[in-house]
Amino acid sequence: MERQSLKRLQESIESVIKGKSDAVKMAIVTLLGKGHLLLEDVPGIGKTTLAFTLAKATNCSFQRVQFTSDLLPTDIIGVNIYNPDTREFEFRSGPLFANIILADEINRTNPKTQSALLEAMNERRVSVDRKTYRLPEPFMVIATQNPLEYHGTFPLPESQLDRFMMHLKLGYPAAEYERQVLFQQASFDSIESMAPAISSEEIIRMQQEVDAVKIDDSLVDYIMSIITHTRRSDKIRLGVSPRGGQFLLKAVKATAYYEGREYVTPDDIKGTAPLVLGHRIILKTQTYISDAERVIEEILSGIPVPV
Amino acid sequence: MPQIYKFLTALLAFTGCISLVITGEMNPFMMITGIGLFPGYYRFLKGMEPAPKWAVSSFSFLTLIVFFFDSFVISNDSFLGVAHLTITFQVIKSFDLKEPWDHLQVYFMALLQLIVASELTNSIAFGIIFLLFLVAFVSAMVLSHFVKEGTTETVRFSTPVFAISLLALFFTFLFFVSLPRVSGQIWGKSHIKSIRTVGFSERVDFGSFGDIKADPTVIMRVELSDAVERPYYWRGMTLNYFDRTSWANTLEKDRIYKDGELFVIRSFRREDAIGQKIYLEPMDNDVLFGMSDIVAIESAGYSMITDSARSLFLPYKKGKRFNYLAYSTSDANSVTENNMQRYLQLPPGMEGISRLAKDINDLGDSTDQKARKIEQYLMRNYSYSLSVPQPPEGMSPIDDFLFNTRKGYCEHYATAMVLMLRISGIPARIVTGFFGGETNDYGQYIIVRQSNAHSWVEADIDGIWKRFDPTPPVSEGVTSGISLFLDMIRMKWGRYIVAFSLFDQREIARFISFPFQIPSMPEMKSLRGMVLVIVFALPAGLILVWVIMKSLRWTRYGLVTGYYLRVRDLVRKRGGKITSFSTPAEVKSEAAKTGMRGRVSEFINIYEEHRFGGKSMTEEARANYKELFREINH
Repeated sequence: MERQSLKRLQESIESVIKGKSDAVKMAIVTLLGKGHLLLEDVPGIGKTTLAFTLAKATNCSFQRVQFTSDLLPTDIIGVNIYNPDTREFEFRSGPLFANIILADEINRTNPKTQSALLEAMNERRVSVDRKTYRLPEPFMVIATQNPLEYHGTFPLPESQLDRFMMHLKLGYPAAEYERQVLFQQASFDSIESMAPAISSEEIIRMQQEVDAVKIDDSLVDYIMSIITHTRRSDKIRLGVSPRGGQFLLKAVKATAYYEGREYVTPDDIKGTAPLVLGHRIILKTQTYISDAERVIEEILSGIPVPV
Repeated sequence: MPQIYKFLTALLAFTGCISLVITGEMNPFMMITGIGLFPGYYRFLKGMEPAPKWAVSSFSFLTLIVFFFDSFVISNDSFLGVAHLTITFQVIKSFDLKEPWDHLQVYFMALLQLIVASELTNSIAFGIIFLLFLVAFVSAMVLSHFVKEGTTETVRFSTPVFAISLLALFFTFLFFVSLPRVSGQIWGKSHIKSIRTVGFSERVDFGSFGDIKADPTVIMRVELSDAVERPYYWRGMTLNYFDRTSWANTLEKDRIYKDGELFVIRSFRREDAIGQKIYLEPMDNDVLFGMSDIVAIESAGYSMITDSARSLFLPYKKGKRFNYLAYSTSDANSVTENNMQRYLQLPPGMEGISRLAKDINDLGDSTDQKARKIEQYLMRNYSYSLSVPQPPEGMSPIDDFLFNTRKGYCEHYATAMVLMLRISGIPARIVTGFFGGETNDYGQYIIVRQSNAHSWVEADIDGIWKRFDPTPPVSEGVTSGISLFLDMIRMKWGRYIVAFSLFDQREIARFISFPFQIPSMPEMKSLRGMVLVIVFALPAGLILVWVIMKSLRWTRYGLVTGYYLRVRDLVRKRGGKITSFSTPAEVKSEAAKTGMRGRVSEFINIYEEHRFGGKSMTEEARANYKELFREINH
């Protein structure tokens, strides 16, 4: 049943984003694992479209925030405004109060705003004037980052990158799909009018079911072994943190769930690990996340798979 | 670095040093440095900083100087010098453990220490230390592999350690049994401390037996082929010349050679003979013992020395344990020597004893009667005592015994009797050896101790050498059950481990070749045994190990994974790029690439479902699973 609705979801997203089924799958997996997604790629690739389509297909509310250097935390969280009629302060929620938020070019804003966003991502609630407001469920932040332009940016520190469950690189579409894209009407209206493939309530239920996915002890050992290796590798300056391990376990379970299984297999781990761990390590030679991904793949090809 | 790894390093260093200490050959002053291991490993286990470089190098330099001084001056033995050096090395190293490589140095130094110790001792304590070392060594090596791989946190290593220890023990056993035994010593010189004995040299000072009569050191252990009634006299050698203060053996010696498998002293019938398997401890003499009279010896070696009194000597001193099979008969031992005058030799100053001899004997007595009377006289009128004071100035010890103190031990009695017999014109000689011995019911063998040392008399009675023992009987001490049991274990250790010989290998080979009925070729027997062991036992052992490993794989992984692994192997054999790093999905795609028959995907899905999904397999599912496997395997 779940497998079918998830398949429907995937198909409906892919009707808009063509030829990117792996990225679409991983985005859904991140949503199922209650994680946040970091998209690192050049502009014009379809990052915004992916986020918007995901929101529409799951019948979720969507907000897009363009991160600029003068953006303030209150601009995304919201502010208390004095209401002359009631003579009281009223909370005016910001764009963060949506199910799916696209944080565009997150590295362009100041650290203060970055950390406000990342704190909200982690705790799923915000505090304004000693009052705490819960963020809606499901809640997922899709942040984008342009890997090439570094002028006037505030690169996210590792501690903040650590809060994203996964990072993805969309990459250019294959020629056959790009041809179709050329003729596509670049309008969000058609997406706006898209019928949802799945309800947001269903997503919440599925998120809970992901926790019940079984994982064999030997596979837990496998995960441990991967993490330990990142800490010992001579190519890596900073290995994966315990939180990284937690995210990997979560992502692996979500992957298994996505595949319609109630249990994790070694392939779930080997397939997910580079995307979950790539942005959590610092290589000795400072480079892009995609290089780190390759190092993780190298490590994976040297760890015996449990049988 | 895991604490257990550190602990194993400490354990190995201690094991190595203790193995040397238990040999009892270490110089106490050279051993004292070993105490440094305690602070060294305490600091190491607590994770404190290693000692500064200058301290380590200056100590190392000092040690080297001490080593040369030790080898040429203190111990005057480079072998012991090396042993002392290894202890100091371990101590210095315990303060200087940084790299994983340092740990390996400790392991191999400990190995060297064990090898050195094995040359210095045969004790069972060494055997225990060796087993401990083996297990610790294997664990440490396996662990060091994991440390190198950086997987200590994720791998449970108790199973591999156990399996490899078992394997190592198995191969140790196999090599122990099958390696050809060489007689002779590898190091040229024996470093085992031998037991100091009294009474078995060319010249024996009078009164020297008294000191050893209280010494419970085990001299030999004897297994008898048939029950023999007590008393047991273990004859060693004879003494014929007395000069008032010491006895000497002046008999001419002769070399005899092996006749077949035996050294034959005089011809005998095997069915009349009593076989005694004798396990001699390392001793400082070259005498072989056995019930009188030994007629043949079966042992290693090519030649043996005998004298006209038919005593037997090895051509060299027994620095090590020596085992042999002695055959004895109770047939009359007729006098064959021509020169009997030397058995009538008397030192000057025998007036007192002459008078006594004449008093005891009547004129008409036969030689046998005379001898019996003297024996009885001494036994009745003198009291047995180990505490005999020094004789007064100017009096010979024998006069002191007979006329003054009237108490003494075997040496006094036997000497008095021999002298009185000689005065009466009867040729006589002293025999030294052991008397009695304790039967150990645990192992059905006799323990003969230093305290069983004894001397008695042989006299020529009408052309036959007869035994007389004028010493009054003394009750033997009884050993407790536990120490008898421990002695039995020591006996078995000495018998089957330390003294494991070509002979035993031959027995095993005979046992193994029994079902094949290979005709025996006497001169080829030992060689054939070796060949058999190597040709059959070694591959058989390997196959056994393989089967065990295989079955371990099945029991460990169960049926589901067992079949999966076989499919994986099949894909690999078909040219698929499969390693232990391959996931099930990769196996699937490789199988598809190689164009394997059968539904590999379906098979692997079932595997995953049962292996990782925690689903138990129904009969039906199992049959289906096996069927899929057969399809793929076909």
